[in-house]
Amino acid sequence: MSQLLPYVGLGLLFLVVLGLWVRQSFVTRAGRAELLVPRQHRSGVGRAAPLRDLGERIFGPEDWDFVSRDTSSEIQRMFQRERTILALAWLRRTRMRTSQVMRAHVVAARQSEDLQLATEIRLALSYLLFLILCDFLIGLIWLRGPVRTRRIVRQGFHWAAGLRATFEQLMAIVDPANRRALDVGFNQGTAQS
Amino acid sequence: MSYQARRIDDEPAVTDLRNRTLSKLPGDFSRLVFLASTRDYNTGQYYHDGLAFHFSEKIASQALGKCHKEIFDRLVYCTLEELIEELRSYISSTDEKTEDVLKSWKQLESYRVTIPSECDELAVGLFVSNVKMALAILQTRQKPASQDEQSA
Repeated sequence: MSQLLPYVGLGLLFLVVLGLWVRQSFVTRAGRAELLVPRQHRSGVGRAAPLRDLGERIFGPEDWDFVSRDTSSEIQRMFQRERTILALAWLRRTRMRTSQVMRAHVVAARQSEDLQLATEIRLALSYLLFLILCDFLIGLIWLRGPVRTRRIVRQGFHWAAGLRATFEQLMAIVDPANRRALDVGFNQGTAQS
Repeated sequence: MSYQARRIDDEPAVTDLRNRTLSKLPGDFSRLVFLASTRDYNTGQYYHDGLAFHFSEKIASQALGKCHKEIFDRLVYCTLEELIEELRSYISSTDEKTEDVLKSWKQLESYRVTIPSECDELAVGLFVSNVKMALAILQTRQKPASQDEQSA
């Protein structure tokens, strides 16, 4: 058992280095995550709908703050049930669409003669981390609901948004056609294939 | 190009609809119900005689559909508290008793017919869930009020 420790240590070190490498591109492109921040609510008949991510709306704190402040425990339980269903649906859809785009990219990359290995590895890692995070959040929400775990879920949601932004940036470099599919797919009903 | 042309075509009809009709309705929920009521359930086409007279039937239908989607999106993204206010404002604009409307909406799920076609599935889910919550909250608020009325 102790003979394995150096290999486990090396493996962990390798993963940490790779994680930092992916994170580097996330930090330098942090501005992308600003797209997920809600716009100011305007009033009037002709005002446009605020351009927000549905995830931001589902995981946002304002509804729970209102429900916990102004309603009975029965309503609070109902809210938790409803939001658990929506949160899981959003996470599964986001995961599925990212996977669809990644699969399309893999097919395109196989035929490419101008493959940028470093960017491809970063892309694969950001995708892998994104999947792990999504599965972790799905498990957590399924077990305890989005309200009880709201702090960690909100943090996880922002990490997932950041990873998705990194993934989009890297995809824009290596495969602009599939990057456009990501743009269309995340907030609309039609799944991109 | 075709999208741009379509946008330019129906823009005067959309502005007309907003200024002459929608602005007179009390809140977005009332607008949503009104716009849904101009849709033929069999064909999904929208009809509005006044608008069709000034523009054309096709442009009127396009403008109604566009405003319907726009208002639905706004309601999807508004907070639960705002949605309750919208719903309350709509119910008070009808001549029916609040508890009757709440009961019937809850049982029949009438709000489902207010959803535009070709909407994001998850947005529809969020809207339906929030309306259900809003109805339940309004009902709990309604109970003490009606109990007070009875005791008086």
